[in-house]
Amino acid sequence: MPHYMLLLHDDRASLARLGPEEMQRALEKYVAWRKKPFVVDGRRLNEQTGKVMQKRNGSVTVTDGPYTESREVLGGYYTIEAVNLDEALQLSLDHPHVDFGSIEIREVMPPAG
Amino acid sequence: MDESGSPVLLEHLFRRQAGRIVACLAVLLGTGHLQLAEDAVQEAMLGAAQLWPLHGVPASPEAWLFRVAHNHVVSALRRRASFERRSEALIAALEARTAHCGRVPPDELDTEQHLRDDELRMIFMCCHPSLAVEARVALSLKLVAGFSVGEIARIFMTAEETIAQRLVRAKRSIREQALPLCMPPSAELPARLDSVLLVIYLMFSGGYAVRGVEGLAPEQVCPEQVCSEEVCLEALRLGRLVCASSISAPRAEALVALMALQAARLPARVDAAGNLVLLEDQDRGRWDRDLIDLGFRYFDHSIAGEEVSEWHVQAAIAATYARAEKAESIDWPAILEHYDHLLERTGSPVVALNRAVVVSKVHGPDAALRALAPLAKESSLRGYHLLPAVQGRVFAQLGRVHEAAAAYRAALECACAEPERRFLAARLAELGGA
Repeated sequence: MPHYMLLLHDDRASLARLGPEEMQRALEKYVAWRKKPFVVDGRRLNEQTGKVMQKRNGSVTVTDGPYTESREVLGGYYTIEAVNLDEALQLSLDHPHVDFGSIEIREVMPPAG
Repeated sequence: MDESGSPVLLEHLFRRQAGRIVACLAVLLGTGHLQLAEDAVQEAMLGAAQLWPLHGVPASPEAWLFRVAHNHVVSALRRRASFERRSEALIAALEARTAHCGRVPPDELDTEQHLRDDELRMIFMCCHPSLAVEARVALSLKLVAGFSVGEIARIFMTAEETIAQRLVRAKRSIREQALPLCMPPSAELPARLDSVLLVIYLMFSGGYAVRGVEGLAPEQVCPEQVCSEEVCLEALRLGRLVCASSISAPRAEALVALMALQAARLPARVDAAGNLVLLEDQDRGRWDRDLIDLGFRYFDHSIAGEEVSEWHVQAAIAATYARAEKAESIDWPAILEHYDHLLERTGSPVVALNRAVVVSKVHGPDAALRALAPLAKESSLRGYHLLPAVQGRVFAQLGRVHEAAAAYRAALECACAEPERRFLAARLAELGGA
């Protein structure tokens, strides 16, 4: 079955606004979603450390990342199984993250041959 | 929640833990760093919300949150250390104290005692008499009870901005006056305890107030309703925390009794259709037996001494209602006696209004009308929907339907919650277009 990746972009401000009780409720929803049978994997990306490399004028420049100044940062990902993109989308519609950022859904291409 | 639908974490763990960590850090850092303590807690909870769903819940979530909040404070202080000499000393103190807060399992007894002491100090600081009363209530809800600005705003039906500003001003005032996070000296203790008890009761009644449940089917859970019940239970918890400490007094026990007996009625206060049910019409089977038992235990204890406070009288009223097996057996003359006593002590127009309702039970509607008459001139009751609502009820009992209808209409013009509005409209309709 094809794999799809859900790339979670965090809007830190909206989650940070929550009080402890609301935060706990959000956490419980995320945990419940992680346990759904079609979820293969999920990981969080460390937001304290990161670098961005770019080649400019022939030399590689390295800057600190992720872009803490930008509003939405890639914060983590899930891998799910679905027959097609449409099903992947349907399965993900109730993901709690939509309240606190955006989700990008992409198919993970299988290896050639 | 896992597949079985059971929560992953203890109920209210974050909220409870937020108050404890803020108290523990603030006691150490001093009230000048209150904001840092709050930010650290927020940071820890945010980290947990992002990490735990994907990487698993740690074996001791409490200790994890403590440690992350603590680390946040240390790194914030390190950044300041170069230009703030005190920071180094604070970091050292924090490291020493972590043994108490974070690493030791939270269920260990002396840690528990330590945390409770910090919490109590925090309550006394939040209820300091130099702060405005509404600021004390908002601070206690935010710092001690762990409610968010949005939740507090909903409880008091106030704009979030208003609550946020109230908190900012209060915290500035704490900083400027350098209010200490310690228990008051014994000479000040009685007055300081009174302030704490008042604030706890104001929290409770904020939660207890009837809230609008418009646009919701009765079986749906209204978040405001849930949140406000939590506020009631939190006020009860804080009251019991005070009672369990060495500074307790019989009036604190009386307050806990009052809150427990009132909170016991929460489930019966609204019927299946979301309509308001008056105390005497409530299904007593839906009252919370455990809370009633708790209330009586505290009440019996509170009256063992010499002290008779306003809380004692209020608790006695609640106890008299709770003691009646059915509505017909409510001892109205005893309740009236308590109200006479309470009115004498407080002179409060709201007490006088409640007393008038009881007068109608004991001496009939004519006497109630006489008791109500002086209240029409009370400026503090102007715009308060319950005054015309009670007048309407008394007029209706006397068969003076036109005056009753006019009073109910006047009540409907005041600000009140949706279930109350429906209740008043139903009474008006009963008068058959008078």
